[in-house]
Amino acid sequence: MRSKKPYRSKMRILADMMRAIQSEGENGAGPTKILYGANLSHDRLTQYLDELVAKALVLESQDSEDSRMYVLTEKGRDFLREFVRVEHFSEAFGIEI
Amino acid sequence: MQALLALIRVDLLLESIAGLIALALSHYASKAYRLTGQKRLSDLSTGFLVLSAAMFGRVIGTWYFFVLSSDGGDPSSGNSLIVVVTIAYGAMKVMAYILFAVSTRPTLGGRPTILPMLMALPVLVDPNLDMVAIIVLLVVVLQSTVNYLNVRTKYALYVLVGFSFLLLSHVSAIPSQDDVRGYALSQVFQFLGFIALLVMLVKAGREA
Repeated sequence: MRSKKPYRSKMRILADMMRAIQSEGENGAGPTKILYGANLSHDRLTQYLDELVAKALVLESQDSEDSRMYVLTEKGRDFLREFVRVEHFSEAFGIEI
Repeated sequence: MQALLALIRVDLLLESIAGLIALALSHYASKAYRLTGQKRLSDLSTGFLVLSAAMFGRVIGTWYFFVLSSDGGDPSSGNSLIVVVTIAYGAMKVMAYILFAVSTRPTLGGRPTILPMLMALPVLVDPNLDMVAIIVLLVVVLQSTVNYLNVRTKYALYVLVGFSFLLLSHVSAIPSQDDVRGYALSQVFQFLGFIALLVMLVKAGREA
């Protein structure tokens, strides 16, 4: 029997990406670290990174053509804190988010 | 008589505090729903809102009953008021518990189609709704137990303790029709249940 992959909402994917960025500290994380940290395909990574930048949750910096880094903004850190609270609350009632 | 009045005053105070806690839980569940779009959080929020409305309705209704009685009004109108308040309180509580049972059900399959039928249940059954409340709450407690055994977090434990106290409050209410102590115990259990849920809410907010 094939085991069913647990469903991840878009909000959870964004939070996982932001956690991956936060775990790399002040210097931020590159796309590969985020890709592995959040367990994403390359297409989805690009799509969601654009969304995070557009929403001002993440700041993109580019030293050269091949080296892009992403750091959390203050708004991003606030969002992640709120998400963790909501995660605790939902989990307490057995509700997956 | 004075002792009974004092007990009712304490009872209404505990009910008001529990109503405020239910309102806070409803507000937070609604906030979580807006952030995540998870429909179950919206159901949970509605459940706590209905529970809160039931509690405040009972407090206001009971208080109004005493105002009518002290003014020397028609005792029959006071009695019918308290009957309406009691039935509405029981029916709304059962509705809230059904919403809890639906929103906290294990994640498998789609939304159950039985929900609209269950929502109509309180008006179809005997006015003495405690037995229905116990059955629905039993489902909620079992689901909370399964959830706690799966996730093993203190937040899930607080929810399990909270719902278990609510169940105990209904169980202890059954023999309380002619026993004031049983009635008082039921109110204390209900209050403790909401305190456990409040502790969960505060800790979940603080430990982000």
